[in-house]
Amino acid sequence: MAASTSPTSQTHPASLPPSVFTLPQTAQLEALYTIIRDKTTSRGDFLFYSDRIIRLLVEESLNHLPVVPKTVETPTGVTYEGVGFEGKICGVSILRAGEAMEAGLREVCRSVRIGKILIQRDEETALPKLFYSKLPEDIASRYVLLLDPMLATGGSAMKAVEILKEQGVPEERIIFINLIAAPEGLRRFCGKFPSLRVITGWIDKGLNEKSYIIPGLGDFGERRYCE
Amino acid sequence: MLGEDFHELLDDESQRNFSESLQSKKNTILKSHGRPPWYGEDGLPICDAFVIGIAGGSASGKTHVARQIVRSLGSVPTVVILSQDSFYKRLTPEEVALAHANRIDLDDPEAIDMPMFTACLTDLKGCRQSNIPVYSFAEHQRLDEVKYLYGAAIIITEGIHALHYPELRSLYDLKVFVQCDSDLMLARRIQRDVKERGRSVDGVIEQYLRYVKPAFDNFVLPTARYADIVVPGSNNSVAIDLITTHIRRQMTERATHFRRNMASKSIECCLSDGNPVSSNLILLPQTPQLKGIYTVLRDGKSNRQDFIFFVDRLATFLIEKAMEHLPYRPKTITTPINVDCTGKELDVKNVCGISIIRSGGPLTKGLERVLSDVAIGSLLVQSDARTGEPLLLHVMLPKCVRERHLAVDTWVFLLDGQIGTAAAAFMAIRTLLDHGVQQDHIIFVTFLVARNGGVTVLQRAFPKVKIVTGAVDEGLREAWLDHYNEQGEGQSEGDGRKVWIVEPGMGQIGDRYYL
Repeated sequence: MAASTSPTSQTHPASLPPSVFTLPQTAQLEALYTIIRDKTTSRGDFLFYSDRIIRLLVEESLNHLPVVPKTVETPTGVTYEGVGFEGKICGVSILRAGEAMEAGLREVCRSVRIGKILIQRDEETALPKLFYSKLPEDIASRYVLLLDPMLATGGSAMKAVEILKEQGVPEERIIFINLIAAPEGLRRFCGKFPSLRVITGWIDKGLNEKSYIIPGLGDFGERRYCE
Repeated sequence: MLGEDFHELLDDESQRNFSESLQSKKNTILKSHGRPPWYGEDGLPICDAFVIGIAGGSASGKTHVARQIVRSLGSVPTVVILSQDSFYKRLTPEEVALAHANRIDLDDPEAIDMPMFTACLTDLKGCRQSNIPVYSFAEHQRLDEVKYLYGAAIIITEGIHALHYPELRSLYDLKVFVQCDSDLMLARRIQRDVKERGRSVDGVIEQYLRYVKPAFDNFVLPTARYADIVVPGSNNSVAIDLITTHIRRQMTERATHFRRNMASKSIECCLSDGNPVSSNLILLPQTPQLKGIYTVLRDGKSNRQDFIFFVDRLATFLIEKAMEHLPYRPKTITTPINVDCTGKELDVKNVCGISIIRSGGPLTKGLERVLSDVAIGSLLVQSDARTGEPLLLHVMLPKCVRERHLAVDTWVFLLDGQIGTAAAAFMAIRTLLDHGVQQDHIIFVTFLVARNGGVTVLQRAFPKVKIVTGAVDEGLREAWLDHYNEQGEGQSEGDGRKVWIVEPGMGQIGDRYYL
């Protein structure tokens, strides 16, 4: 009987920053990624299989929220020493690809509040710039699950975290949830915000000259919404 | 016996319907109550089905004898009457034309597909499923459809050549020959064919002389010497009584043997000392979220909405974890930015789910979230209110399990709410193995396992079956439910019922999810 006593179910390779957690790298997970990476995969399959990964990511990230001891009485009249969920949460998606992760989030966290941030590259400065944000008013008192499927250079993710911090969210209450990350982007992102946690499904080889993740899966938002 | 001369019925529509309704009437399945366990503590079947072969001339009264036997047997789990007519060979187009012209001798033993007949009966006798061919007298051809049969305790084979082939004879536990005077058989035949099928007396006699009589003299009558008992074709109530007494005694002996074998399987004796079990019991990592979910589910005060939501969420997660135990193989693909990438893909021919009604139901929702188009079968196992014995009441299996050649390559997610005594799990796994599913292709997914319960026996009997669960509980206690509001087979209405309760457990998972 294999039971782990660690608080999460994750593997943690030594070469990663300590705040980065990946899903267990099973053959099953690799098969899910193979489907969504394949350029011949239909949009329907892309939706279905990316949702499966997103659900696993959300399940994993929730393990980083605090719980408190809670004793309940079962229908058989026995007491059970369990745990209760503690602390309010909300999701924040980085538009547009981040929106794709909202359905998966709500399947696991029923009726969770979701804020939105639109960040685009400023044509003049070539830096990420905030275009729009709509966040829950009490966001400063919540744990924030920040959603963006692809982390390449980490530019827009860093901008989003800055905005959250401006709204009074402490860095250690932000959990960044991500499908595919490039090692370069991860190092930059985690170097800048060391107490934020990153939950990622897969860490790819790297970036090409156009800053696309290799092998990656192309443009997530494009494949999810437009193809 | 009505079938052998159906090739005379030509294209009249009403005749065709008539013949097909008769065809279906000849293969009969009778169920009186659920099927008690047919296997021992080691997981192996204890006895074969009881097989009776009934031969005799055309219109001698074989079907009548078969039905009389069933009637006087009274309460038996499942009886199948299997007609030889189902096993006519597949005909070539030329032969079909001849048959329509009434120039094919269907009374000849060669007209029967003996290897198939033997294979089907061997499977049924060995408690395995069989897919029986369907022959249409209207089309003079074996149809593409098949009739699925599984789980009969008694099989009665009837046909003029039922005792002709040694391969078949070796399968019978009891061989019966229905003896009837030739004149009487011809008289019945003329009467029946003229009255019921609008045929001329001349036509009936011509066919009788050309095919029926020679076949009877050369092939049918000589097989009477193989019979254990020769029964008169009419006024045969004494003979029927002798036969059923014999069958009943045989069945009782088997049952006694069975119960002796099962005695040590009673739950008290198999309570383990808490030593966990094999590496094939896979417990999910006990993360804070998982513990939190189980806390909601175990809490008797949780409302219905929360219970349903968290059951669904847990089911999805459990199935995702169970998916890790399927085989995968390498696969190379190209990404949209034209980079080649070696990943993996699922390496299974067939995969399906089978839910044990009722508390396996919530897990099917999780399965559908993970495998969108998966086939999901179901089994209903209830424990007999009097004996506590599990009874198999309903079997509905996906095609990839029903057909043996597919079942060997099929992976099955077997779904049930919890494993307490493991009686239902045991019966379900045995049912799958009977169908040819490989033991190491079965993954049992459940919310809860009682450590001291039947899981030990289950894993001893089926060591290769994997069990994926989110929690292992320490206790299993016998209890009495006062007003168990459930009706149906095996239940005595209004009375209380003895049950085994997992502790701390989640209560009655099915009730909390559905009611």
